[in-house]
Parts: sequence; structure tokens; C-alpha cells
Amino acid sequence: MKLVKFTLGLCLGLLLIALPFSQFQPSPLSPLETIVVQQGGRKKPLDTVAKETVAKIHGSTTHKHDGIAEDSTTTFMSLWLNSRNWNEEPFVLFSYRPLKEKIGLDPDQKHFSFQTLMKNSALGEVVREAHRKELEDIDLSRDEREALTLEDRLTLMLGSVDDNTIAIVPHPTDPKGKWLGISEEQTFYTQSATAPLIADFAVMKQMFLQASQSGASYPASHLANHLASHLSALTPTAAELQAGLRNLSPQVYPAIGAMDQEVFFNHFHPFAKAWKLYGLAFLVMLLTLWVKPLELYWSAIGLFVGGVALQTYGFWLRMQIAGRPPVTNMYESVIWVGFGIAAIALTFELIYRAKYYLLAAAPLAIMCLILADSLPAVLDPSISPLVPVLRDNFWLSIHVPTIALSYASFALALGIGHVALGSYLFTPEAKSRIQLLSQLNYRVLQVGVLLLTAGIILGGIWAHFSWGRFWGWDPKETWALIALLGYLVPLHGRLVGWIGNFGISVASVVAFNAVLMAWYGVNFVLGTGLHSYGFGTGGSEWMIASVVGADLLFVLAATARYKGWFAKLLGEATTTELSANSSS
Amino acid sequence: MTVHSIHKWPKTDATGSLLRALGSIRLAVPLLAAIAAILIGATFYEAEVGSAVVQQEIYKSPWFGGLMFLLALNLGTSTLLRYPWKGARKIGFAITHWGLVVIIAGSAAVIHLSVEGMMLARTDAGPVSTLRVEGDLIEVAMPTGVSTEISEGMTEQASLFIKADGSVVPSKVGGLSLLGYSDNTVNTVHFEPGSRVENSAVRLVLKSDRMGQSLERWLAVAPAAYGTMDIGPAELQIVKAEDQQALAEALAAPAEKTASAKWGTAKWGTVDISWQGITRTIDVESSLNQAANQPFEINAEEKTLTIQTTGFWPDFRLDGNRQPTSATNLLRNPAVQLRVSSEGSTESWFVFGKPGFEPIRNLIEGDAIALNLSYNIAPDAGPDAFFRIVVDAKNNLHYAAKSSKGFKSGQMATGESITPGWADFEVTLAEYIPNARVEREIVPLPKGAPEQGSPALLVSTGEHSQPTWVGWGEPTTVESEQGDWYVAFSPKLLQLPFSLKLNEFIVERNEGSESVAMWTSDVSLIDPQVEETSHRRVWMNHPTWFKGWKIAQAAWNPGDLNQSTLQVKREPWWVTGLTWLGSTMVTIGVATMFYGRAVAKKFKKVSDFLDVPETEEEAESGPSIPLLNALLGR
Repeated sequence: MKLVKFTLGLCLGLLLIALPFSQFQPSPLSPLETIVVQQGGRKKPLDTVAKETVAKIHGSTTHKHDGIAEDSTTTFMSLWLNSRNWNEEPFVLFSYRPLKEKIGLDPDQKHFSFQTLMKNSALGEVVREAHRKELEDIDLSRDEREALTLEDRLTLMLGSVDDNTIAIVPHPTDPKGKWLGISEEQTFYTQSATAPLIADFAVMKQMFLQASQSGASYPASHLANHLASHLSALTPTAAELQAGLRNLSPQVYPAIGAMDQEVFFNHFHPFAKAWKLYGLAFLVMLLTLWVKPLELYWSAIGLFVGGVALQTYGFWLRMQIAGRPPVTNMYESVIWVGFGIAAIALTFELIYRAKYYLLAAAPLAIMCLILADSLPAVLDPSISPLVPVLRDNFWLSIHVPTIALSYASFALALGIGHVALGSYLFTPEAKSRIQLLSQLNYRVLQVGVLLLTAGIILGGIWAHFSWGRFWGWDPKETWALIALLGYLVPLHGRLVGWIGNFGISVASVVAFNAVLMAWYGVNFVLGTGLHSYGFGTGGSEWMIASVVGADLLFVLAATARYKGWFAKLLGEATTTELSANSSS
Repeated sequence: MTVHSIHKWPKTDATGSLLRALGSIRLAVPLLAAIAAILIGATFYEAEVGSAVVQQEIYKSPWFGGLMFLLALNLGTSTLLRYPWKGARKIGFAITHWGLVVIIAGSAAVIHLSVEGMMLARTDAGPVSTLRVEGDLIEVAMPTGVSTEISEGMTEQASLFIKADGSVVPSKVGGLSLLGYSDNTVNTVHFEPGSRVENSAVRLVLKSDRMGQSLERWLAVAPAAYGTMDIGPAELQIVKAEDQQALAEALAAPAEKTASAKWGTAKWGTVDISWQGITRTIDVESSLNQAANQPFEINAEEKTLTIQTTGFWPDFRLDGNRQPTSATNLLRNPAVQLRVSSEGSTESWFVFGKPGFEPIRNLIEGDAIALNLSYNIAPDAGPDAFFRIVVDAKNNLHYAAKSSKGFKSGQMATGESITPGWADFEVTLAEYIPNARVEREIVPLPKGAPEQGSPALLVSTGEHSQPTWVGWGEPTTVESEQGDWYVAFSPKLLQLPFSLKLNEFIVERNEGSESVAMWTSDVSLIDPQVEETSHRRVWMNHPTWFKGWKIAQAAWNPGDLNQSTLQVKREPWWVTGLTWLGSTMVTIGVATMFYGRAVAKKFKKVSDFLDVPETEEEAESGPSIPLLNALLGR
């Protein structure tokens, strides 16, 4: 029966992922989407370029044009083929309010047109000042950093409407040589070879332009379909163009199908699907816990296993595409921690069958995955080449995942700690559950301590190779150690009986702040040290600080309840009231 | 006396309880918490003041070392107190804690026993065998009272650490007080009486209310560089007149320039071109000023030589970017740039007006053109405006001043002021020294001044003496009442037992972009003793070892790809061994402690040995090492 329920859950989960089945068929737009572009130090399909470009400029991969949501490919094609007036389209993301106020733009507006921003002389002034400071090595103010980000977006937008910045023409001989834009083609090749390709491009441009213009007469709801269908009308020409480009330099151009995997990865979006399964597993487990006659434990596990499997598959795909270890930047580390939480919870769930592991893990894993998916400006999902220090290194490829897995364990302990503190706060009478939760928590903390210790030591070995010393008190190292101490102190305190179950629950929540600091804070709050490569700019400090603050208030409330401060206060209030009554 | 008496030794109980306290968790918990708190503080402090300061003040400080030692003591004792280590949990506990002790010992050894530095190698330079070690060095030789001989024993060396606020650690080396440091000092000069030879020097104060300016300048007959000084609106001069005729000449109004007659109307001079036996002359000013700057052409034997004047600088210099510029508007060092082309060849020429300055020619394309250029310009008759101090044979002072408003001259004495006529400038003779000697001095630039100076150290030889700046890398003699001190403030260098030659520096880039994928140094390592050369490649994460030294790729200079910075390091093998051993012990220990029992249960064979029932706190009360028993008074 267990097996049946498990299989049922797993199959249901996989079915949900697999629907619609058409996603496994080659997309009708495939010839267009798989045109190879050399950009940012690697070759990628046009589909990825479209996604990254639109996300970087617009802050999201979907853009609403005249009230219709367009996907990134349509938007990007329209930019590249310059089919509408992009000067006046409010497309560029600009969300930092103080700077908007400073330069006299509407602080409530989120997207601005290229023209508005380019013509704003106050903004230009801030950008110039920022460049001057950069040259002189002076720290930039937040306004200036935001202005530079904005400048990058504008530059990218300007580049996207230019035929020549999208490098699709392969180098004739050198596999690592610089590719060119379509209209620069003649630098590499003879006119007879290039003329048909330039003609193909012109035809695509013309067709797309007509489609968008004729679309103006369509009712809004049909326009999106209309555009999409016209994109597919472009595909025969796109196929011709791609074949022509390949023929120019067959030994340099990637083989047919080489880009399919990445396009599939983009469309399949395994990490976004995985959190839906975790969510479903969570709901089913909650039902099992609350609705007694319903025994769906194994179905929930089945769903959860589906989620973990899917995420594993996603990581495998991403490693294949990028050709490197799974965790090399902040985005990947967030996804990896989400994965670690789910995987560790699943392991413990299979050992202890406690339900709470899954219940605590699912929301956290979902949070990690959603965060990673929704903040492309902070957590950049694009795959770009590694900086030299991260390259070619066996120790790195195990050190970072180990450390991140320890963070995942501590995150799981944080989740269980919350369930436990919630129980202390709302159902203090459920002693046996609280006892159980504390034990479950202790097991997870053990894993975390072991993994973090091993991770720190592996980092030391790597540092010994790279920087010539095992330990150098670099802020990232130091904070990893502080995080470890943050857990060791309560664990040792428990040995002498200074703290009990309640203390461990509090510690698992509070000490996680040290993990957050080691993971995120060193790069963004302290902004120093050797480990600060490829992590982009900060920006969400306040959001994180307020979440942490709210969480600490929750801990305080639970403590107050546990220590009976409420009762005392209430008691005192009643006494005063009584005495007041008696005196009157 | 027998061993028994030790048992009865009254202090034994105290020692025992001290040991128990040292090894107790009650000490460990607050100790760990304190270390965590210090580390948190240190990282935030580091964000403020930088890594070097925090390393010096916290991580490498004696008190932090002491804290670590206490931790090691706590770890070590606690493990001993809990003997015998029965059961997986105890065994794991012992391995972990001793592993930590080993790591701490290894880290301490690294700080004190390892040598590390940076080496800058170039492809276009010879082998390098000196290592720049972090920090600076000071060497002080004290005067030995009456005797001027300095014995070797009186020389003292010390490593310096300079904090961000400019203070120096240590503050005293060999009786010399180190008062401060500035990374932005310049050499200045002033004059003092006391030279044995006659050498006149004057201090002039120039004041202009209109320009809100007050300047002070030293002029001296020797060294020659102080004989004239350009101050913008005019030139200051000092001249020694040995006889009456010379005095009269120096005080006479300058004659009208005769040069203009000699060289026609060409104010900026002319350039003579000799090519194929033909000589032509170009007037620089008119050729530059004509509307379209038309090239000048010479035709001979069906060939054409085209000459275009492209630039003129009255006082030619190269600026910081090595671009030509003019230092003043006076015709001090006139130079003309020309572009000549013929038969598909083009050259760029710089010709100079000063005699003896050879022209500079650069071939832009094609083959060299056989031609000769010479630049003729009147030697500058003198500045349009000047203020001249003339010292006569009897060392009396006179002045001569010229401005656009006219010329004046007369006698001058200390304290007197003259208005030469440039704007509202007033020149005051503030000081006059007939036998002056030059005193060079290093002074720090004020905060906010452009970073153009060099580092220097402020030292003092005693309470009553004036502090003196000692320049970095310039051995200096500091005078005092006791005698001369010899002070050298220099970078810390280390001589390696081998030398390194950078053969090639390879920069790989990511495809189609400028971003760097990897940089690799191709080096030859040369052992001079056995004349053995070894070829190695060093790149990020892939160091190489030679004669016990580790050589790793550290940094590169994007602006100069002939250059590579390598990190060179040595630590005794056993130090590395300690950290690795400790690491292994800790990892295995933690795993055994947490999971040993569970695993042991699975493998029944070993479980008889490992799986002994246990409680967590029993050890705090009952250790049974014979030696410890003795110490604990049991």
C-alpha cells in the first residue's frame, strides 16, 4: 500500500511536470531560437540571449506591450529587428526611488523609455560623476551605483537594436576568434557568400515589421497570438540563415543540435517546476497531519522525491551547458541550498518518518527557488565564464557545494526551529511534539556541523593551493568560522545543561543569522576580502534586515511565552485592576 | 621523600581543580562565545581600516595568540580528563579535539615560521632572485659618542608595521624614535649659513593682494638650478658680478632683441630642409597659422616631398602621458613637429632650436626618407619680465627689474621691498646669506594634496632634537648633538637561493571578448649552485615547487603584458603536515562522534569494541589516567 501511494505521488508529480507534452517536442521556433550567438565569452542560442537581454533591461522576461504580455523572444526580436519605436516605449527598469526623485522622474513609475532617460541631464551628471570616481578609485554612493546599473541597461538596449552587436557570423578559422554582426560579415567572407545571408536577414526584418504593423489593427487579445504566429512564419527564413551561417565556417560553427539542450533548459525551467512539486508535497503532508483518516504520507514523499529528482536533473543540465561545477555564483548557491534543504530533509524523513522534516523543508526550498527566479538583478541566472581564480580546480568544485550543503542543513534546522518555537508559542501543551522536534533538530544540526567543518577544511586546502596559506582570516573564512562557533556554543552549552530543548530551538533560529552573514553578508555588507568575485552589487540589504528583524521578534515572542512573561504581565495587570476595583 | 608525599602535597587539590577548570565545558562555552564575538568585531573593523591593520592588531597579536593558546589548552586538557575514550562518541570526541589542537599549533607555526613574498618578473628583464616581503625595514646605526667610528654592534635592524593612521610599530628602534609615516612627501631645499666657500643665497617673499598670493622662494648662485626660477608672471634670477663691468651689464636695461633682424621676421624661427640636393626654408609661424595649414611641397627628379608643420612648442617638455607640451610661453626650448612624406613613406620629426639637441624622427610607414632638417631660431634674449638680484664683488646687493611697464634697478638691502611692475607684485628681500650651504629636507604634503610624493618616515634622535624625515629607499645621515646617525628606511627584501626568469606571460581570453580566462607564467628556475635550469608553467590554482619554495601566480598588470607577479612562499614541511593532519583528524573525529555508533551497529564485527553504553557527562567526574590521577590527587 505504501509503495502504491508513493508511486501514485511520484507519477502524479512527474505527470504535472511533463504537461504539456509539447515541451519535449522541438519548438516550432527552434530554427530561430537556436541561431548561435557569441556573447559574454561563450556561444549561446539566440533564445538565451533574448531571455538575458530582456531580463537585464526590463527586470523580467515578460514585457507588457500595449497591454499584452510578450515573451522574451518576441520582445527581443522586435528590438533586434527594430520593428517599433523603442525610443518611446517605457521598457527600461528603474526602481531605485531616491535617485528617481533626485533627477526629477516620477518615483512611482517603474519602467521608463530610452529617450526619457537619455535626455535626462541630471542623470547624465550622476553617471559622469560616478565614472570620475571610479577612475580615481573613490567609493561610489548608492545613487551612483544605481545610475551605473541604469547606464548598463541603456548601453545594452542600444546594443540590441544594432545589427552588429549581436555576433552571429562565425570566425572563419579560429574556434575562439571573435564573431561579427550580420552586416559586418564582409570583413570575413566574400560578397558572394554573404549576400544571400544578408538578404535572409532583410527578409526576416521585413516580415517581422509587417507583422507588427498589421497587428495594430488586431484586437489586443489576438495580437500576441498574431505576433507569435508571425514569429513562426519567420522560421523557414531563420533556418535558411542558420544553415548559411554554418556553411560559412562549418568547423567553427557548433554542430546541429548543440544549442537544443540549452533552449530546452530555458523552456523547461526545471527549478521553477520543482518548487511547485515541493508545494504540493507540503500541502498533502499537511492534510495527512491534520485530517486523521487521510493517510497520504507516502504520496507526499512521492511528490517530494519528484521535486528533488527534477532539481537534480536541472543541475545536471546546467552543468552540461556551462561545463563546470554546480555552484560558482550567488544564484547557483541559492538554488543549491534549496536543493540541499530538500535532499537532506528527504534523507532524514526516510530514516525517521517524522513528517516535520518535509514540512519544515518545503517552504524553505520553495522560498530559495522563488527568490532565485524573481530577482534577476540581484541573483543573475545567466551562465558566464568563470574568473581565473575559480577555474580548473578540483577543490573548489567540492568545497563550495559542501559549504552550501551545510548552509542547507542549518536552514533546515532553522525551519524545524520555527516549527518548534511556533509550538512553544501556540501549543505549549503539546510536550511530546516539542520533544520530538528538538530531537529532529539536533540530528540536522549535527549534519550541519559536520558539513561546515569539512567545508571549512576543504576551503583551507584550496586556499593552501591558491593563496599559499591554509587559513588567513579572510572575512569569508572568518565568518564561516563564526557561523560554526555560533552552533558549537549552544551545542556545548547543552552538554552542561545550560540550555535545553527550548534553547536549541532558539539557537537554531538565531545562529542562522551568522550563516546568512557568511553566505550573503560578507560580500554585500562588508564588501571586502578575497572571496568577493562575481557576486554583483547588493541592494536588498534592507529587505533582508527587516525579515531578520521580524524573525527575531518571533523568537522573542516565543521566549516570552515559554518563560511566562505574558502570564506575569497579565497577572500583574489583573492584580492592579483588582486593587483598583477594591479601592473604589 | 617518596611519591606518596606528592599525594599529600597540599597544592595538589588546587592543581587538580585548576586542571578540571581548564578542561571543563564551563570554560569552553564562554571562551568560544568570546572568540566568536571578537571575530565578529574584527571583520567589521576590517571593513573600516583594511586587512593589514586587523592582521597586525588582532589576528597576529599576542593577546589573540594567547586566547588561541587557552583554547588549545582547554581542548587538550578536556580530552585528557575524559580518558579512557571508550565508545565511538568518546573516540570521535578525542580525535576531534586533539585535531583542533594540532590545527592551532600548525597555524601558530605558520605565522612564525613561514616566509612569503611577492616577486615581480618581466619577460624583457633578466632573472630575479630577490623577494619583496610584506612590510618595511629600518636599519639604524647610532653614533658612538666621541668616536666617529661605528662598530657593527651598534647597528640595529627592525621590521616596521605602518598603520593606516600613519603611526609606526615599533615606536623606537636602537634609541631612535619613530614618530610617524607619510606616503606623500617631497624633497625641498633651503639654505643655511656656514659654507666655507662664498655662495650668496637670498630668500625672496613675493606678495600680490590682487591675486591673493604670497610666495617664498630661495635663490642661490650655487647649485645652478637655484640661479633662476620661473614663477609664472616673471623670472627670478640671482647673478654674481665679479667686477664693475659685469655689474654694470647685469644692471643695465636689456637691449632690444637683435635676433629678429638676423632671422628676418620669423618670430618662431625657420626650418631648413635639404633633400635631393635642394634646400628650402619654411617659416614656422606662418606655415602653422595659414588657414588650411597647406603642406609644403618640393619637387625633384619626378619625386615629390611633402612637408607639413604640425606643431610648435616654445618650451618643449613631455607631460605625464608622454605627450608634448609647453612648460612656459617663453622661447626656452623651442621645438617644431613636422610630417614629411615621399614615395609612400611618411615620417614624423621633432626638431629643436637649442644647439646640440638632435632631431627625433619616427618612421610611420614605408622606408626612411633621406633628408635633413634643421631648425633655426634666435636664442632667447631673456624673459620679458624678470627680477634679478645682483651680488657685487663686495657682496653688496643690487636689483634689476623688468616688466612690460619698464625697467628699474638700484641697491637693495634686507627687509626692503620693490614693486617690479608685474601686476601688483611686491618683492621683499627677506633674508640674505653670503656663504650659504644647501640643506635638503623632506617634507610631507598636506592631506588632499595630489599623490605625487614618495614615502618617508619621521624620526627623532632625542627629546631636544628636531624630528627629521627619512625618505624610503634613501639611506640618510641624521645629525644630532651626540654625532651622526645613519638611518635606512627600505623595503623588506629577501635573497632567494634560486633565480627566476619569466620567459613568457600568456593571457588567455574568453572567446570573442576581452575578459580574461586564465593567465599563465612560463618561467625558468635557475639554481646557481648546480647550474641547473628547470622550465615550469605556473597558473591560477596550479603552483609549482622548487627547492622547497612554492611559486604561484598572484597578479598581472592589464596595462603591461610583459609583467607577472608571482607569490613565492616557503614553510617547513612539518608545518604543512600539521595542518593537514589536524584537518583530517577533525573531519574524521566529528563523523565518528556523530555517526560512529550508528555505523558500528551496522557492522557488528567492530561493535564489540566501539559500542559501549555511554552517558554524555560522566567524564567530567571520573578520569583515570595514572599520571592525571597523580596530578589530581587521587
